[in-house]
Amino acid sequence: MTKKLIFSLIVLTLVALVALPLCSACAPAAPAKDKIVVGMSRPLSGPMALIGDSAFRPVYETFVAEVNADGGIYVAEYGKKLPIELLIYDDKGDVGTMTRLTEKLILEDKVDFLWPACGTAFIFGQAPIANKYNYILLTAEGGATTIRDILPGLPYVFVSLSFSDWYQLPVLADLLAEKGARTAYIMYIADLHGIEYSGVAGIEFPKRGIEIVGIKSVPPDIKDLSPILKEAKASNADVFCAFAYPDQILPATGQSIEIGYNPKVWLGGPGVNFGFYHAAFGPATEGIMGFTTFSRKTSPTANELADKLYAGKPEEVQDWWGHPLYWAGLEFWKAAIEEAGTLDQAVIRDIMATSTFDTILGPTWFVSGLMAKECHTGEIGQWQSGVFEVVGPKDKATAEFIYPKPAWPAP
Amino acid sequence: MMVTILDVVIAGLLLGGIYALIAMGLSLQYGVARVLNISHGEFIMVGAFLTWMLYTVFGINPLLCLVIVGPVVFIIGFILHKTLFTRLRISSTSSGAFESRSLLATFGLLFIIQNIALIAWGAEIRGYAYLNISVNLGGALFGANRLVTLGFAIAIGLAFYIFLARTRMGKAIRAAAQDPATAGLMGVNINQVLALCFGFGASMAGIAGLLLSMCYPINAAMGLEYTIIAIIVVVLGGLGSIPGSFIGGFILGLVGSIVTYFEPGLALVSYYVIFMILLLVRPTGILGK
Repeated sequence: MTKKLIFSLIVLTLVALVALPLCSACAPAAPAKDKIVVGMSRPLSGPMALIGDSAFRPVYETFVAEVNADGGIYVAEYGKKLPIELLIYDDKGDVGTMTRLTEKLILEDKVDFLWPACGTAFIFGQAPIANKYNYILLTAEGGATTIRDILPGLPYVFVSLSFSDWYQLPVLADLLAEKGARTAYIMYIADLHGIEYSGVAGIEFPKRGIEIVGIKSVPPDIKDLSPILKEAKASNADVFCAFAYPDQILPATGQSIEIGYNPKVWLGGPGVNFGFYHAAFGPATEGIMGFTTFSRKTSPTANELADKLYAGKPEEVQDWWGHPLYWAGLEFWKAAIEEAGTLDQAVIRDIMATSTFDTILGPTWFVSGLMAKECHTGEIGQWQSGVFEVVGPKDKATAEFIYPKPAWPAP
Repeated sequence: MMVTILDVVIAGLLLGGIYALIAMGLSLQYGVARVLNISHGEFIMVGAFLTWMLYTVFGINPLLCLVIVGPVVFIIGFILHKTLFTRLRISSTSSGAFESRSLLATFGLLFIIQNIALIAWGAEIRGYAYLNISVNLGGALFGANRLVTLGFAIAIGLAFYIFLARTRMGKAIRAAAQDPATAGLMGVNINQVLALCFGFGASMAGIAGLLLSMCYPINAAMGLEYTIIAIIVVVLGGLGSIPGSFIGGFILGLVGSIVTYFEPGLALVSYYVIFMILLLVRPTGILGK
């Protein structure tokens, strides 16, 4: 009986995963020339929603409201401003559903533009589809060396997020080497993200004379990280890196405090860069490092964006790594449309590939489909007195890098 | 060496305590009330979020939240059984039909609860720091919060066992687990007993969620992972056997901890291997009849 029930359980899971997203896809709007219809397949529910809701969603919602309050995007071909209308389907965090919804947005709904799905794996699925139908795809959550490798064959795809060797870990390795760090222990999640970051660290760290004395992969569902943390502690490494997600970074932090593991550098991400990380650990975050792009002190425009996105909202919604890059990407996209004076994707694509526009980051441009690393206003961050400061690269730092990290606060 | 062994064993017990509590809840719901509750994990999530909210918004000590979370989730479970599952049970022609229909219903419940949580609390990951101070057990260091978790899991497990073994209501529950029809004929108010079981099961899930939220980050989609672990433990311990689920939880925790020590990537694999071996060798579970 149990076997039968387990089997029916599996079948039902599959049926539910396939059927439910279709139910939520309703009420498509026909594109008209009094508005720009932007279509998206997003994880509004399901396990990916936690990433989508805290990463790109607050950015596009704020951006669209701001653009529409101003009347819309001026398109010369129509001689007027066209407001943006969003058409969003829920893919429930399922790649297969996302690919079907993407094709539906393009073929049935005939949206004017496509905005990205959520997650690196989703970019892999969505990019070839967008490119096939000559739809520009400016991605948000997700970036990887492996995506860069396929970009030459996908001229319509543009990647906004920074990643391992673009240009986070080279900057990190420089910072560490300068302070005299000699050894590192790496814990990484056993997926594309973890493998990539640990691989790049394995190249960049030894180049600067930092020896990797221990490396361990962990599965995504791991609960108790203390065996790995104890091993890291025993290795006595100067630097501890956790290349994993919030689901592992949060318990790893809590368990490091519990076992009194306080290396000279404690770096984790993505996870450390979010407001909810500080909300969860408060003063214990002092000196903890992660990946970032800006802080309020980066520039007046950065401060203005932080106000737009975070003022009057709980600290949990903050994301100092992704938000500025997604926002800059959308500003860049809008500027390219205005420059083109048409909604023709081919014309806009050529402009995006070759032009430089001013965004909150300053002058912004793309190199072979990637937002140029020179545009990044920061790569490595560190929590200092409740602010996630940019500490690297040094010419863009908003605060001095604290090394070694201070002791955990007394309970 | 000694410290390493202590490390691994205690870590296993800490994890096992939570597994035991979760599985006891499901065991009550499936073993007695015959509802294979796929939404069991969602009650864990609700308990975790209630605690998080009470702690971060109202500043109520998470352990004190027990007196709020336990009853609230119990009432949700009790009402659900009184309305939805009792109706399904009465309108089903056989117990087999009821099992499959209630399974479908709990599937729906999973999505409903999860999406209500998404609307109410958002999709973001949540966490808070509570009692994360170090305790030294013979050289092995552990967080106080996790030890408290283990203490509560054992205390609740034992208290419930005593309730089942020593009270009149406990006897009625055991009778209903063995044969609901006969128990009904013997004067047990079967609808009431089954609803109570479902409520107690949900309440245990809620309390497990409370304890989990003290140590691990939580999010609205966290439930299913724990449901699967609970199903494995319930089968391991034997259907309907509360002590079996309790022991099964600790066994799974220990095995997970030992495997994690050697290769973290294989922990979940080891759970499924145990599950498969058990189904082949002793399908009734450790204490099943």
